[in-house]
Amino acid sequence: MIQNQSYLTVADNSGAKKIMCIRVLGTSNPHYASLGDIIIGVVKDALPNMPIKKSDIIRAVIVRTKKTLRRKDGMSVRFDENAAVIINQDNNPRGTRVFGPIARELRDKNFSKIISLATEVV
Amino acid sequence: MVVKTDLCFYSGFRIYPGHGRRYIRTDGRQYVFINSKSEASFHMKRKAAKHSWTQLYRRLNKKGIQEETQRRRNRRKVSAAPKAVEGAPLEVIKAKRNQRPEVRKAARDAALKDIKERKKAAKPKTRSQIPSGRGAKKMPVAQRR
Repeated sequence: MIQNQSYLTVADNSGAKKIMCIRVLGTSNPHYASLGDIIIGVVKDALPNMPIKKSDIIRAVIVRTKKTLRRKDGMSVRFDENAAVIINQDNNPRGTRVFGPIARELRDKNFSKIISLATEVV
Repeated sequence: MVVKTDLCFYSGFRIYPGHGRRYIRTDGRQYVFINSKSEASFHMKRKAAKHSWTQLYRRLNKKGIQEETQRRRNRRKVSAAPKAVEGAPLEVIKAKRNQRPEVRKAARDAALKDIKERKKAAKPKTRSQIPSGRGAKKMPVAQRR
């Protein structure tokens, strides 16, 4: 359940550390975004000397949520943080690495590049 | 059909499909919980070994295992072989066990007869003593009727 003003950690090496959601894109419920949804965010915290700077406006896809996700097979999954990966207009990651476990739902939404970079897919 | 089940990380209960919740930490470790009680206890860092309702506690405190071992011990005792007792060595016991039922019955009857004869011999003495004591008390009851 990511909405405007929600803070997310960045799970890649693009240089941003923390982003804040300022718009949820293309979901049936425009108030909340969940796993695999694309959001517009603003960089709140970034590493020095990197291409992405603080207060940049970026696109990102949500890869981990604290809100429980209910799967079709009856399993429910939840993570311990809200995290996103910064992407470009072609839905490819701007960084070259992805950190931490990634939800399987991203594969269904055609983020195959992120899935292949991830160390663990749950 | 075999149902694939998980074990609750906290309580140790079996989790059937459609139940439970999987908690995944950013370091990649996965924990499965059967219900919110187990999950909340885990997040509050309560020790499962201190809750009497968890399987871990029951295993540590040997709950439910003792009865089974006792039953086994009892069964073994029943099937134990005969041992020599003081005053009755093993050969005597074995010989008595292997006797035929008719022989044993004859021996028992002989013994009973012996006892009865002894009692008969002992009774007259006691009877001669009793009437003098009881007879005096019984007489008035007979008169009333």
